[in-house]
Amino acid sequence: MGKVLEVKDLVTTFRIDKKEYEVLRGVSFDLNENETLCMVGESGCGKSVTTLSVMGLLPNNGRIVSGSIKLNGQELTTMSPKELNTLRGKQMGMIFQEPMTALNPLLTIGRQMTESLMLHKGMSKKEATETAISYLEKVGIANPEERLKQYPFQLSGGLRQRIMIAMVMSVQPSLLIADEPTTALDVTIQKQVLVLLNKLKKDVSTGVLFITHDLSVVAEIADRVIVLYSGRKVEEGTIEQIFAKPQHPYTVGLMNAVPNVDLDEFDIQPIPGTFPNITEDIGGCRFHPRCPYATERCRKEVPAELETEPGHFVYCHKVEEEQSK
Amino acid sequence: MSEDKKTLLELKKLKKYFPVRRGVYIKAIEDVSFSITEGEKFGVVGESGCGKSTLGRVILQLYPQTSGACIYYGRTFDEMCPKYFAKEIAKLPQYQKKADEYFKKSLEIDKKADVVRIEIDALSARGSDKEVKKEAQLAKKLSTLEFRSKELKKDASRQLREGSRTVGSLILCKDLPAVQELFSKAQKETVISSEKIHKYRDLERHYEESRVAGNPDENIKKEMEDITVQIKEHVAAAKAFRQEAWDTYHGKDILPITERCLDPEYQKKLDGNYETGINLGKLTKPEMRELRREMQMIFQDPAASLDPRQSVGKSIEEVYKINTDYSAQLRKEKTMDLLEKVGLKREHYYSYPHALSGGQKQRVGIARAIALDTKFIVLDESVSALDVSVQAQILQLLNELSDEKELTYFFITHDLGVVKHFCDRILVMYLGNLCEIADSKVLFHNTLHPYTQSLLASVPRLTLNQEHSTEFVLEGDVPSAMNPPKGCPFHTRCSKCMDICKKEKPPIIEKEPGHFVACHLYSQE
Ligand SMILES: Nc1ncnc2c1ncn2[C@@H]1O[C@H](COP(=O)(O)OP(=O)(O)OP(=O)(O)O)[C@@H](O)[C@H]1O
Ligand code: SF4
Ligand code: SF4
Ligand SMILES: [Mg+2]
Repeated sequence: MGKVLEVKDLVTTFRIDKKEYEVLRGVSFDLNENETLCMVGESGCGKSVTTLSVMGLLPNNGRIVSGSIKLNGQELTTMSPKELNTLRGKQMGMIFQEPMTALNPLLTIGRQMTESLMLHKGMSKKEATETAISYLEKVGIANPEERLKQYPFQLSGGLRQRIMIAMVMSVQPSLLIADEPTTALDVTIQKQVLVLLNKLKKDVSTGVLFITHDLSVVAEIADRVIVLYSGRKVEEGTIEQIFAKPQHPYTVGLMNAVPNVDLDEFDIQPIPGTFPNITEDIGGCRFHPRCPYATERCRKEVPAELETEPGHFVYCHKVEEEQSK
Repeated sequence: MSEDKKTLLELKKLKKYFPVRRGVYIKAIEDVSFSITEGEKFGVVGESGCGKSTLGRVILQLYPQTSGACIYYGRTFDEMCPKYFAKEIAKLPQYQKKADEYFKKSLEIDKKADVVRIEIDALSARGSDKEVKKEAQLAKKLSTLEFRSKELKKDASRQLREGSRTVGSLILCKDLPAVQELFSKAQKETVISSEKIHKYRDLERHYEESRVAGNPDENIKKEMEDITVQIKEHVAAAKAFRQEAWDTYHGKDILPITERCLDPEYQKKLDGNYETGINLGKLTKPEMRELRREMQMIFQDPAASLDPRQSVGKSIEEVYKINTDYSAQLRKEKTMDLLEKVGLKREHYYSYPHALSGGQKQRVGIARAIALDTKFIVLDESVSALDVSVQAQILQLLNELSDEKELTYFFITHDLGVVKHFCDRILVMYLGNLCEIADSKVLFHNTLHPYTQSLLASVPRLTLNQEHSTEFVLEGDVPSAMNPPKGCPFHTRCSKCMDICKKEKPPIIEKEPGHFVACHLYSQE
C-alpha cells in the first residue's frame, strides 16, 4: 500500500495585526492509497488550515514556517506556485462544503467537466464528454446528457455536490481532499453522498483526507482518524481504536457531547470552557484549561507522542503516567 | 372547560402559502393541526424546506397565516381584551333574543311557504295554460320564501355562535341573565387582576431601582408579595365564577331557540367555540407587541441577529428600552444579571459581537429572549451551527432555564440526535405536511411513517460496523413546494407507495394514544 500523502512536523502561521501566531504547531500524519483518513475537531482547531497548507492555497497572511508535505514522494513546500498548480489539477481533487464556490456559475456543467479532463488528462473533446457522462452515471445522476447542458444554479444542493464529486473523481486524482462536504446537506442527501464517496474511493483507488466536525459522519466513512485540538494532533488511530477506546480526555469529551440517536438514555455532558483563540498564549498541553485531569505538569510541558498500541497514538500526560504505572 | 394537561398553544388547520406570481404559490404549510403543552419541549424535524422555520414564524405572527388559527392559552382572552369582553357579556341577551326572533320569523315564513306549496299542489292536478303560468309564479314565490327562511335560520345560528364565543352552549340557557351575572363578576375579577399586574410591574421597577441604588426597599418588596397573592386570588375568583356558571347551568334548562338546540352534538359545537385562548392572527399590532413579552424567538445564526456596532450590553438592554420604563441604571443592572444567568461574565456587557465565540453569541441571543416574562420560545436551529462541545453547553443551559422559568420551547432542528434527547415530543414534517407526532421515545421505538423511518435510517451513526448500509437511502430530492405531488406528498420517494397514495391524501390517525400518523398504511386497518 503506497503512501499518497506524508505530512511531517507542519508549522503554519498567520499574521494578525503585525504579529505571527502559530495555527498548526507541528502536525504530522500519513495517508495511504485506498484509505479514508478523517480529521476531526472543533471549528478553529486547524482542520481547514491543514488542507489549505497541503494544497498550497493559504491566504496572503499565512505561511508554512517549517515541516514537510510530500505528495507521492514529491516535496510540495519547496515547489513553485506554478508547479503546484499543475500538480493540483492532476493529482489532487477537492470538494468543499458549498459546491457553488467551486463551480463556475457562468459555465455549463458539461463545459466545466470536459475542460478539466482535456487539460489534465489530455483527452479529446469526445473522450472527455464520454468520461464525464460515465462519471455522472457513477454518481447516480439520471439523464447525464441533459445535466451537462445545465448551469449550476439550476441544480439542487444535493445534485451540485454529487456533480462536484463526479467532476473531481473523473480526473482520477491520487489524493482527494473533502472539507466538510456534507455539512450543508440534509441527512437523507448526506447519506447518498457518503455512500457514493465510499464507492468511488474503491473504484478510483484514491486516498481521501476527509475533514469534518461531526463524529457520526466519521464513524460512517473513516478508516483512520486524527483528532486535532488547537493546532495540535491529540490522538490518532484506526476507527475502531478511536471509537472503542478513546484515550485523550478531549476525544472522550467529544464522544460524550454528541447526542447519540442509538441510545435511549443520554445525559448532556458538555466540555466546560471555550475553545481557545489562536492568539491565546496557552503553555503546555493546550487543552489544560478545560481538562478535568490537568496538573501542574500539563500547564508547563507539551505532552509527547505515546503509542499505546500499534497505530494508536495519544498526546497526554495522564495517559502516559497511567501506562507507566 | 376544565382541562388538566394545560395546553399553551393550539394550531388549527394552519396554512401558509407564499405567493410567487398570479395563481402560483409556494405551499409552505398545509393544514397543520396540533397542540403544545405548557412546559414541554416540542421538537420539529424534517428536511430543508419542509416548512419548519415558516411554522415557527407563523406561530409568532412574524408572517401572517393564509388560513387556520393559532390559539395561545398563555393568557386568557378576557385578560387581553377586557373591554371587548365586557361588551360581549352585555350583549349576550341580545344574541339570544335576536336568534329567537330570527328563528320565529323563519317559522312564520315557513308557514306562508306551506300555504303556497298547497296552492301549487292543488294547481298541478288540473293544468290549463293560465294555470301553468300561475304555477310558475307560485314556484318563484315559494323559492323566495324558502330562501328567506333559510337565511333567517342562518342568522339565528350566527347569533348563537357569536354568543357562544363568550359562554359556550350556555347561550342557550333559559336563565341567561344569571349566567351573564356570573360571567360579569368573573370579568370584573380579571380586570382587577390585570390592573394589579400593572401595579406590580411598577412596584417591581421601584424596588429594582432601590436595589440597584444599594438600599433595597423592603416595604416595596412586601407590597409586591402581597399583590402577588392578591393577583392569584382574583384570578382564582374569576375562574370560580365561571366554573359556577358552568356547573349550575351547563346542559340544563335549554331553550329550544332553534330546532337544533336540543341536539347534544350542536351544544358540543357551541362549547367548542368558547374561546379561552387568544387567536393570535386576530390581534392588533399593539396587542401582539404586548404578547411579545412572553413569546420570543432565538435564531440559528447568532451573529446575524446581533448588530456588530452595538455592544453586547446595549443589544440586550434594548429589549428593556422598548418594553419597560426602567431607568438606565436599572436596565444595566438587569442586563448584567442576565449575562451571568446565561453563563457569561458581567464584563461581557462591554464586549462587541466580533470578540465573542459562536457559543457566547448564542448565549447573548438567549439572554435577549428571556429578558422579560418569557413563556414560549421558538428556537430555529439554535444549536445547529455550534460545535458539539459548545452545543452540549447550550442545550444544558436551555434545559436549566426551562426548569427554572417554566419555559415552553418550540425547537426546530434537522438533527435527530439532538431532538431525541432534548425534546419531549416530536413533530416530523415533509413538504409542509404533518407526517407523524409522538413522544420522543415512542417515535424512535415505534416509528410508523415511512418518511420518519428513512430519515432515521439516514442519520450517520456513532456506532461502528453498520457496514455502510444503503438499504434505506432515499432516492432523489424533495419535490418542489410550488407543485407538490398529489395524494400523499411523500409518495414519489416512498418505497411502500400504494395506488391509493397517488390519489388520496392520507388522513391523520391516532394509532396509539398521543401517536399521530398520516399514512395510508395505517388508515386502512
Ligand atoms: N419569505 C418567503 N417567501 C417565499 N417563500 C418562502 C419564504 N420563506 C420560506 N419560503 C419557502 O417556504 C418553504 C418552507 O421554507 P422553510 O424556511 O420554512 O423551511 P425549513 O424547513 O425551515 O428549511 P431549512 O431546514 O432549510 O431551514 C420553502 O419552499 C421555502 O422556499
Ligand atoms: S496532558 Fe494534561 S491537560 Fe492535557 S489532556 Fe492530558 S491530562 Fe489533560
Ligand atoms: S401514504 Fe403511501 S406514499 Fe405516503 S407514506 Fe404512506 S405508504 Fe408511503
Ligand atoms: Mg429553517
